[in-house]
Amino acid sequence: MTEKNEAQRTIPFPHGGIIVLVGPSNSGKTTLLRRLVEEGVLLETEMVSSDTYRTLVGDVEYLDWKGRPREEADILYSDYQKLSGLAFEAMNTVVSMRSRLGKLTVVDATHLQPEYRRKYIDIAAEHDLPCVAWVLDVPEQTLLARDKTREQPRGRQRVKSQYSQFKRSLRGLREEGFDFTYMLKEPEAVQFVRRDNPLLADIGAGIDVIGDIHGCYDEMLELLGELGYAAGEDGLYRHPAGRTLVSVGDVMSRGPRSLDTMIFWKRHFDAGIARMTDSNHGWKIARYLSGRNVTLSHGDENIAAELRLFEEEAGPEAAAALKEELKQFLLSAPSHLVMCRDGVRRLVIAHAGIRDEYIGRQSRRVQDFCRYGDTDGLDAAGAPVRKEWYTGHESGELIIWGHDPRPYPAVVKNTINIDQGAVFGGALTAYRYPEQAFVSVKAHRDYAEDPDSPLIRWERGRFAPPNLGKLVNGYSVFTDAYGELSVRGDYVKAAVDSVSHYTVPLEELVYIPPTMSPTPSVSADESYLEHPQEAFDYFRSQGVTTMVAEKKHMGSRAVLLLFRDEQAAVSYIGRPALGTIYSRTGRAFFDRETEVQVLARLNADLVQAGYFTRYNTEMLLLDAEIIPWNLKARELIATQYAHVAEAAKMDREHLLVKLRQAEAAGRDVSGWVQEMEAKLHSVQVFRQAFQQYCWDVSGLEGIRIAPFHILAHSGQSFFDHSHIWHMEQARQLAGISPLFMETEYRVIRSAADEADVIKWWQDMTEDGHEGIVIKPEIFITKNGRHMVQPAIKVRGRKYLHIIYGIDYLQPDNLKRLKQRRTSKKERHALMECALSVESVNRFIRREPLERVHECVLAALALESDPVDPRL
Amino acid sequence: MHLIIRATGAGAGMLSHLLAKNPNNLYDRTEKEARVRIVFTASSEEVTEAVIYVTPDPVELVKGDSQAHNDITQYINDREFVTSSLFCTYIRAALGTALNGKPKEAYVHWVKEPLELALSFGPVASNLPDHTVEELFGALGYEVSLERGDAEYTFALKARSSARYIRLKGKQTLQTALQQLFVLIPALDDYKHYYISDDEVDKIRRYGAGWLEQHPQRALILKRTLRFGGAIRQYEEMAAKELRTAGGGPGAPADIPVLEESAPGGSAEPPGVQEAPKVRLNDLRYEAIARTVGELDERASIVDFGSGEGKLSARLSSVPGVREIRAVEPSAASQLRAMERFAKLEGRTGTVVPEPVTGSLFYFDESLRGRDVMILCEVIEHIDEHRLDRVMDTIFGQYGPKTLIVTTPNKDYNTVYGMEQEEIRHGDHRFEWGREAFSAWCSRWTGAFPYAAEITGIGEGSAEYGYPTQMAVFTRGEQLQ
Repeated sequence: MTEKNEAQRTIPFPHGGIIVLVGPSNSGKTTLLRRLVEEGVLLETEMVSSDTYRTLVGDVEYLDWKGRPREEADILYSDYQKLSGLAFEAMNTVVSMRSRLGKLTVVDATHLQPEYRRKYIDIAAEHDLPCVAWVLDVPEQTLLARDKTREQPRGRQRVKSQYSQFKRSLRGLREEGFDFTYMLKEPEAVQFVRRDNPLLADIGAGIDVIGDIHGCYDEMLELLGELGYAAGEDGLYRHPAGRTLVSVGDVMSRGPRSLDTMIFWKRHFDAGIARMTDSNHGWKIARYLSGRNVTLSHGDENIAAELRLFEEEAGPEAAAALKEELKQFLLSAPSHLVMCRDGVRRLVIAHAGIRDEYIGRQSRRVQDFCRYGDTDGLDAAGAPVRKEWYTGHESGELIIWGHDPRPYPAVVKNTINIDQGAVFGGALTAYRYPEQAFVSVKAHRDYAEDPDSPLIRWERGRFAPPNLGKLVNGYSVFTDAYGELSVRGDYVKAAVDSVSHYTVPLEELVYIPPTMSPTPSVSADESYLEHPQEAFDYFRSQGVTTMVAEKKHMGSRAVLLLFRDEQAAVSYIGRPALGTIYSRTGRAFFDRETEVQVLARLNADLVQAGYFTRYNTEMLLLDAEIIPWNLKARELIATQYAHVAEAAKMDREHLLVKLRQAEAAGRDVSGWVQEMEAKLHSVQVFRQAFQQYCWDVSGLEGIRIAPFHILAHSGQSFFDHSHIWHMEQARQLAGISPLFMETEYRVIRSAADEADVIKWWQDMTEDGHEGIVIKPEIFITKNGRHMVQPAIKVRGRKYLHIIYGIDYLQPDNLKRLKQRRTSKKERHALMECALSVESVNRFIRREPLERVHECVLAALALESDPVDPRL
Repeated sequence: MHLIIRATGAGAGMLSHLLAKNPNNLYDRTEKEARVRIVFTASSEEVTEAVIYVTPDPVELVKGDSQAHNDITQYINDREFVTSSLFCTYIRAALGTALNGKPKEAYVHWVKEPLELALSFGPVASNLPDHTVEELFGALGYEVSLERGDAEYTFALKARSSARYIRLKGKQTLQTALQQLFVLIPALDDYKHYYISDDEVDKIRRYGAGWLEQHPQRALILKRTLRFGGAIRQYEEMAAKELRTAGGGPGAPADIPVLEESAPGGSAEPPGVQEAPKVRLNDLRYEAIARTVGELDERASIVDFGSGEGKLSARLSSVPGVREIRAVEPSAASQLRAMERFAKLEGRTGTVVPEPVTGSLFYFDESLRGRDVMILCEVIEHIDEHRLDRVMDTIFGQYGPKTLIVTTPNKDYNTVYGMEQEEIRHGDHRFEWGREAFSAWCSRWTGAFPYAAEITGIGEGSAEYGYPTQMAVFTRGEQLQ
């Protein structure tokens, strides 16, 4: 609490909160406020007055009982008390509501009793706002003189009694808990000003937020270089586009050059080209520099050492000046920063995070939260247990924070952690806005050398089970390719059920093959439902110039995660294994015995061929089709396809015999006979269609695995490689193991290539093959800001019998089937593709299980959202 | 889907009159998006044959509730081809005259006249064994022959076709024969109806009049056509009332055989050795856990992990001193049943209504931390052993309940059930442990975390093999409290 005296010429308004006027009737409260409104520094709506509320509630501002007989006076007095009580209740409700919104409210009432004032101190504190008292201390004579000129004079006795009450109450006022108390003896002489909120700033030409530097000065300069900042003649680093640098705090401690780093930020702040938020280390050092008795630990002791060294070199005077400068700088650091564009909050920067209701406010509670985060007591080792505050962030701003190192920028619910533990040998990260891009510089070494560093603890906790609370009611995932995408709670629950009962362990579920759309337009040719031409047209319209067409095998989709040896698996999936093979729904592809055999064989072949050595990888992740179809789908084939074929054949054969008899008997059924003949033929096509994809398997004999995406090696995914490369790698794999088979493909650049592929497709599908998949040359291709479909399938006429039914080609049926809509399927294909790329990238970066799983679970959840399965 | 009716011998020529169809004309109508056609292959006084066939619109047939079946099997299905209730619906109008026995005046006396009939229909999709199919029609006096579809494939797929064709021969009035088919064709068909309307009950009663009451497979027929207890009871009441008003005669109420709950032909439970004790054991387990919880000093908040349909949670809801039960279960289907169970507890005094929570042991749920009691009742054996450690790490290290109760089968005891060494009690059990293994496992956890464990048994004990279920109660040591 600070007291400012009359000599003070100007009094600033707080940016939000409550100003409590204190003064007896006639002290000039309303007059002062009226003046401020006229001056334009106060809005009409920012003031509430008990007089106004008495009128609003009870139609009168005041009840006069003086001069009345005793009995009447008692009744009127009691009426007045009641009216006043209700008026205050209504008014305080409004004050409370305004405070919840962070607004400024001036309360115009006498507030002669401490308990009346207390109310507002509490309301303000509850909403993390300041509460200020403006005390109008006017001489009794003036009060009495003014009362006489009043429309409804309170009367001499009442004024005198109020005055003495006021004087008595002044004594304890300072201890009541106001953030500021201003004594106004001559309010007319005082200037009242509104200042800009230091928490708010405009995004301007863009900002670069730097994570926790901790004295890693060299890395910081390197990062600034990468961001395009260069030192000018004054030694200050500026960006040619006029961008602003922002630090999330903790620029000092632990690392080698804390002093230089602090000086850097102070100088840039003074020059108006950088900002820095408060932080736990910053606050500690500020108090240390203020001469408080603080224990320096967790690397803070390095600063004391650096300062001693500085003093030895530069002398005690210079050292004292520097300490004072730094102290002021650190003490003035705002708890958090709110960066706006067009007056709307877009970005919030807070060292350890912030709750939505604290954004834009200043209070001790807010400051503590921004410094230390959401601490929930201490764990057994005495370290604070952090609660995950970011799961509650709903208000839409992007919150950038540091404090809690993790190996990669962690995006959760519109919050981004950019502390990548530079001082622990991690990296120093910058987040660029509005570009929404990360730039990072690897630490030159592990300066802290802490055997229990957050990064090491992170690694230990990597396989911790995912926090269901973040997921189960629906959530969003930020993907590089698609941006933010959301999944609904009911679909997530279905996916959680599946993962808890049927799939391979969560740690091994690192990629869910994305669904794929057929051509967005059906074939223009009336005898086809699907045709490659529409796929070419689609990609051409999206600006794709080179395409790859791959033969589509009709089997079952499978993901193969293969390890160099059992031990290599431990750091990836947490247990020794040669690998895992699972279906597109995440279930084990083979029974355990067959899986062991397949993995052993693949491993032997890959090791024998020196694959892992050649690519310097411990791991190979493949997306593949495993054939024959009956290997996995035998039950489905028997009970659905074969059963339907048998029934249709029986029905039509019997009927054809009878119709021919009827024709022989002279009935006019030649049309019916022809129709039945055609239908019987359709049955034959259908019957052959599914048998084409099936054959008998004994042991591994007959099983073929056709990889078409080489998803990843250790530390590297291949989504940026062309599909031609993927196909060539697959060919190479086919040469390594007899279990692998290559996939035929064609590259399409010209119209002639298109014609060639159409011919190829026609021949193959008439022969009964399923069809082809056409892809843009690069996995993730964008048309402007939008993702282009990563693949379009074009299925053959014959094959489609087993999808659309035995008689789908009958003109009347086909005409109606062509009215299909693919937009939902396309949307799902894009989202699932983005999720699958994201999950693999997180997996190879060895991010925590939870981060990988949120992508996988989202993909499974999308799969629970029904889409026409014929597409 | 088709039906061929052939009449031979005396009165064969009447067939077309009874059907009210001119044998020289083609019948071709559209009924509910399906094309219904009739053609006569012969029409003499000696032999007359009508072929009735239906072609549903395949595109329309699969429309509608596509949201309900997110599955390709909805689109490739046999409904378009097999004889079913759908078939009966399609042809009812075309065969109305014959079914109702209302031909032109001149032929009315033929309605009650049995004809030498051959009825062929199919394909039939039915899981009933051949002998049951033969019995169904044999009991009505037909000679039955069955034909299977073509199940020759280029690879080993199935032993025989799942499509059958049925040929019946016998002397019967056309009306009765058709009415019998209109009851028995839906009864044969496997399709599961999710709703049976009152009309359906009424239809069975009308078409079944005079033969169904006495049919030896009556229970099976009703079970397969009406499906649900309610509809079957409704039929029974109707039939009984009718007989009463008819005033005795053949088939008085006393003659109606009592329906048994379970129908033959359904998937009867294999005579598992442990079936009998298992049911009782469940209750004993719940009792033992409830007793254990009741004796704990701190028992206000309980987490029932893998709560399934909520039986244990419901049992614990009335244990004094329990204030909150979280029934954690990943399966939405199980949870729905649990919620029904819990809803019945609403408003009972001294009972806390358990709260269903979606969750599983493979995830972490902050809201389950620091509870008084956590229970894993017959849960751990459903988790692959190599995944169990991580699960228990989370429980002991993160959730840290004051008491953890774990029950699991005692493999040693399987001998008492006469099971082989390698046999397990349930198909989904990933392991079953004997007493030594369980005890060693418990010791491993008490060694790693500040807990003490006490192991007891549940069920009928054996001196040599212990108890059928083993239960460990882990108690958290003072140092952490």
